[in-house]
Amino acid sequence: MSVSRDDFSIAFRSALLQRGATQKFSILSLIILAIFIFFLDVYGFTLVKTARSFINDVVYRVTYLASAPTRLFPSINKGVASHFNLKKENEELRKVIEKYKSIDLNLEYISNENKNLKKVLDTEDVQSVSNVVLAKVLIDRNSPFLKSIIINKGSKEGIIKGMPVTQNKYLVGRIVETNYLSSRVLLLNDLNSRIPVTFDEKSTQAILTGGGTRNPTLSYLPEDYEFEEDVTVFASGKDGIFSAGTPIGKTKNNGEVTLFVDPNQLSFVTVNLIKPRKEVF
Amino acid sequence: MAKTNIVNKLFASGPLFLLYYLSISEIDTNLEKLFEVFSLNLQIIIIYFWIIKRPNLMGPGHIFSAGLINDVVMGFPLGISSLSYLVVCFVGNYVRNKSVNTTIASDWFTFLVALLFANLVFFSLLNNFSEVGISYTKIGYNTFFTLFLFPVFWLLFNLYQMSFVGSQDA
Repeated sequence: MSVSRDDFSIAFRSALLQRGATQKFSILSLIILAIFIFFLDVYGFTLVKTARSFINDVVYRVTYLASAPTRLFPSINKGVASHFNLKKENEELRKVIEKYKSIDLNLEYISNENKNLKKVLDTEDVQSVSNVVLAKVLIDRNSPFLKSIIINKGSKEGIIKGMPVTQNKYLVGRIVETNYLSSRVLLLNDLNSRIPVTFDEKSTQAILTGGGTRNPTLSYLPEDYEFEEDVTVFASGKDGIFSAGTPIGKTKNNGEVTLFVDPNQLSFVTVNLIKPRKEVF
Repeated sequence: MAKTNIVNKLFASGPLFLLYYLSISEIDTNLEKLFEVFSLNLQIIIIYFWIIKRPNLMGPGHIFSAGLINDVVMGFPLGISSLSYLVVCFVGNYVRNKSVNTTIASDWFTFLVALLFANLVFFSLLNNFSEVGISYTKIGYNTFFTLFLFPVFWLLFNLYQMSFVGSQDA
C-alpha cells in the first residue's frame, strides 16, 4: 500500500517538477506564472492594462497576417467549382479560365475587397459624416463561447468603450475593448449582449438578448405577447448607447430576430463616434 | 545529411507549429454554419497527444505561450488558456510517468480526465473572476465533441508521427 502511495507521489512530483533535456521551465513554475498573470489581468492594474493593450495590437496584426491564407482559400474554392462547371460546357474555355484564375487569383481577392469597401463608402456616405470611423475587420474568429470581431481602428481614432458599430446603417454590435490601434466589437448574438429595442405599431419595448447562437432573441416582453413575423426591430436608445431607430433585424414567430447583417460575413464596419451617455461597464 | 536533419527537425516541429497557428490565426474549429452545436478544442487534443507520445516536441514553455496568444485573440483574461493547457500537460505527464505502454483506448480514457480538469479550471476561473458570460450548453457540446473526436485525431497524429517523426514512443 505504501509502495503504491510512493509511486503516486513520485509520478505526481515528477509530472509537476521534472524538466526534459530541452525544456527550460517546469509545469509548476509555469502554472504559478499563469495564475499570477491571470490575477494581474483580472484585477486590472494600469500598467498591466497598458501592456495588454500593446500586446493586443501586436498579436492582432500578426493574426491578421497569419490568417491571410485562410481568407484566400474561399476564393480558390470558388475558382475550382466554376472550373468544373465550365468543363462540362466547353473544354477549351475551361483551360483558359483555369489559366486566368490561377494568374488572377490575388487580383480577384483584392478587387472583391475593393468592391466591398466602395459599397460601404457609397451606402454610408462616410466622407460627409465626420463622427463615423470606417474600420476593416482584422479578425473574425468564430469562437463557440464569445461572438466578437477585431477591427483595425482603436483609441487613436477616438474610439472608446460602448460606441455602437454598424454596417450599412444596420446595428452590428458595440465596442467592448479598445487598444491604441485596434478594438474588439461584441456582436449582437453574443451571450453577453443585451440591447433595449422597440418594434411593431405599438412601439413594444423589449431587450434583445444574445444567446451565443446565430440569432438573438427578444425577452422582457409584455405579458401574453404574441410574436408576428417580419416586424422590423429597432434600437430604442434607452440605454444611452445606441442611437434610437437604428434598424437591427426582423422578428420570427419563435421570438428570435433575424439580423439584417450576418455576423459571420463582416468585412468592413463603421464605428459611430457617439460618446455613450453613461458608463457601460 | 545536414539537409535530412533540417527536414526531420521541420517535421518534428510540425505539431508545435500547428498549435501556435491554431492559437494565432482566424482558423476556428467551430463549424456552426454546417452544424450549429459543433465546436472542438483541437489545441487540447494536440497538447495531450504529443505530451503523451513525444514530450520533447512540445515543451511547457511553448504551451504556455500558445495559451497566452489564444487568450489575446479570443478576448479571455490573460493566462486562463495557459492554465488549462498546462493542466492537460500535467495530466499527460503524470499518465506518461505511470504507464509503460499506451493504447488508443487508454489514451482516450485518460484524455477524458485531462479534458475535465482543464475545462473545470478554465470555466471556474472565468465564471468566478471574469465578467464574461458563457453558455453551459456550449461548454457541454465542446467537451463532448472534443472527447468524441479524440480517437480520429489520435490516429491522424499517430500516422504523422510514424511517417515523419519516428515511431518510438517516449
